[in-house]
Amino acid sequence: MKNSVRSLGKVENIKGWLLSGPYWIFAAIFFAYPFVWLVMLALSKWNFISPRKTVWLDNLVKIFQDPMFWTITWNTTRFMLYFIPMVLSLSIILAMAFSKAKHFQAFFAMSFLLANVSSGVAYSIIFTQLFSVNGPANNFLYNHFGVFIPWFSSPSWAMFSIAIMVTWKFMGYYALIFLAGLQAIPKELYEAAEIDGATKWTQFWKITLPLLNSSIVMVMVLAITLAFGIFTEPYMITGGGPLNSTQTFLMVIYTDAFLKYQPGYAAMLSIIAAGMSFGLIILTRKLIERKVEFS
Amino acid sequence: MTSRRKLVQNTRAAVFYTIMFAISLIWLYPYVWLFLSSFKPWDEIYTTFIPSHFTLKSYTYISTVASQVGYPFVRGLLNSIFIAVTVTVSVVVTSAIIGYAVAKVKFSGSSALFNFVIYQMLFPGFMFTVPLYVVIRSFGLLNTYAAMILPSLMSAWGVFMFSQSFKSVPNDYIEAAKIDGANFFWVVFNVMVPLSRGTMAIVSIFTFIGIWDNFMWPLIVIQSHQKMPLAVLLAVFNKTYGSYVGPILAGSVIQTIPMVIIFVIFRKYFLQGISMSFK
Repeated sequence: MKNSVRSLGKVENIKGWLLSGPYWIFAAIFFAYPFVWLVMLALSKWNFISPRKTVWLDNLVKIFQDPMFWTITWNTTRFMLYFIPMVLSLSIILAMAFSKAKHFQAFFAMSFLLANVSSGVAYSIIFTQLFSVNGPANNFLYNHFGVFIPWFSSPSWAMFSIAIMVTWKFMGYYALIFLAGLQAIPKELYEAAEIDGATKWTQFWKITLPLLNSSIVMVMVLAITLAFGIFTEPYMITGGGPLNSTQTFLMVIYTDAFLKYQPGYAAMLSIIAAGMSFGLIILTRKLIERKVEFS
Repeated sequence: MTSRRKLVQNTRAAVFYTIMFAISLIWLYPYVWLFLSSFKPWDEIYTTFIPSHFTLKSYTYISTVASQVGYPFVRGLLNSIFIAVTVTVSVVVTSAIIGYAVAKVKFSGSSALFNFVIYQMLFPGFMFTVPLYVVIRSFGLLNTYAAMILPSLMSAWGVFMFSQSFKSVPNDYIEAAKIDGANFFWVVFNVMVPLSRGTMAIVSIFTFIGIWDNFMWPLIVIQSHQKMPLAVLLAVFNKTYGSYVGPILAGSVIQTIPMVIIFVIFRKYFLQGISMSFK
């Protein structure tokens, strides 16, 4: 009896390793091996062809001396400064509207979520056309307000325009996250506040917003991750211009590794970008995450 | 008094729904504009909203003329379908099997496997772009379908999703099937997966959309227009023939449609997937 239990355990053990074996092999080839390469590249000078030379932290020093690094850091910061307040406030408002809507809920949700499944290349093409100098957006603005906006052709507007596009794409998604957060808030809190004579405005600031904390943190984390991963929009629409105002980390990693043949520099830059986004996420959680207790 | 309050209420509701519809239409506008414009005569793309007459000129151009100048869009569409279907099927099948190993097989590496999967998900994908290119290049796989397919055949996220879902299936189901003489694969695909249909739908949808819309990776590893997926071929065509707006918009419609169809069919699971990702 004891023997058969032990052999059954042995069989399970062999089975487990056999089943997960392919995954370990796959991860060794496409995760661990590239990981080793990532570290080696980051410490090397290489052009894909001539022998690789280990230069230790030269790439790191070069990156901090490179004005382009500070440009893309500033551009990514600008993007977050436009995008996060815009998408956060709009999607909270939208979520509150969703929760008020008694009819057509499905239609509203669909219209906003459809944007989220747009293809990166296709929606970049659409917005290039819509926001072009003579495009529909400018026609509308000119006919009704007499103004033109150089959406993608002015260094001060281009990143903002990209932030608008990305907001178009993600607002519905984030609003659903907030909607789930709103639905978790006990109705009694609002009733009690009503009895105490609190206005809707006070209720929003004192009840809704504090109790949405975990959803807000969640959306901020998603938005920061997204900001460090922007590539398709600037590649398709502006090529990083005008005057490098829409260069991003991934644009520079792509250009340096595959057009300038400096994979070492690009690998180090990708480690720095990942580190920055990770650090920013931890900082955000430290600063705004609160333990909220529903009682 | 009451009728007046009702009037106020009704007006409020009317204003509310009018605003909601207006904003929804603004959000749909880019799609509608794209769709209508792809059927417009080329000189009307910027001048009218509703075309004076519908024409398939942009579509015939992109399916015939474009391929004569070296941009085979029909083939690009088939490439995209081939890559996305292969990857999606592979990810679902392997994630189910490995997820089962994590959740239901007691072996000495099971918690290590689970921790490793979570650890992998911490790293942003873009960190691996450059080294993965070096690896693919050292295998001699540049400019092949394998370069686009192999690195995506299994997914840490898929394994995680299936293992979480399988953990909630009672062991009795598995024992009962085993007593009836079911072998391992029968248990996974005829007992476990049908009980986790929602997870399967979510993993399939997000994998399909992710690989269909993947842009940077195929852009890097594929040079030949014959092997490019639609997204990259469209981007390359857009760079060289940017003034052919009609055909580019027609290509964008074709690139968008599969994602929209999948979204509309599986929207229930899509919503589930969103709420699961933040639990």
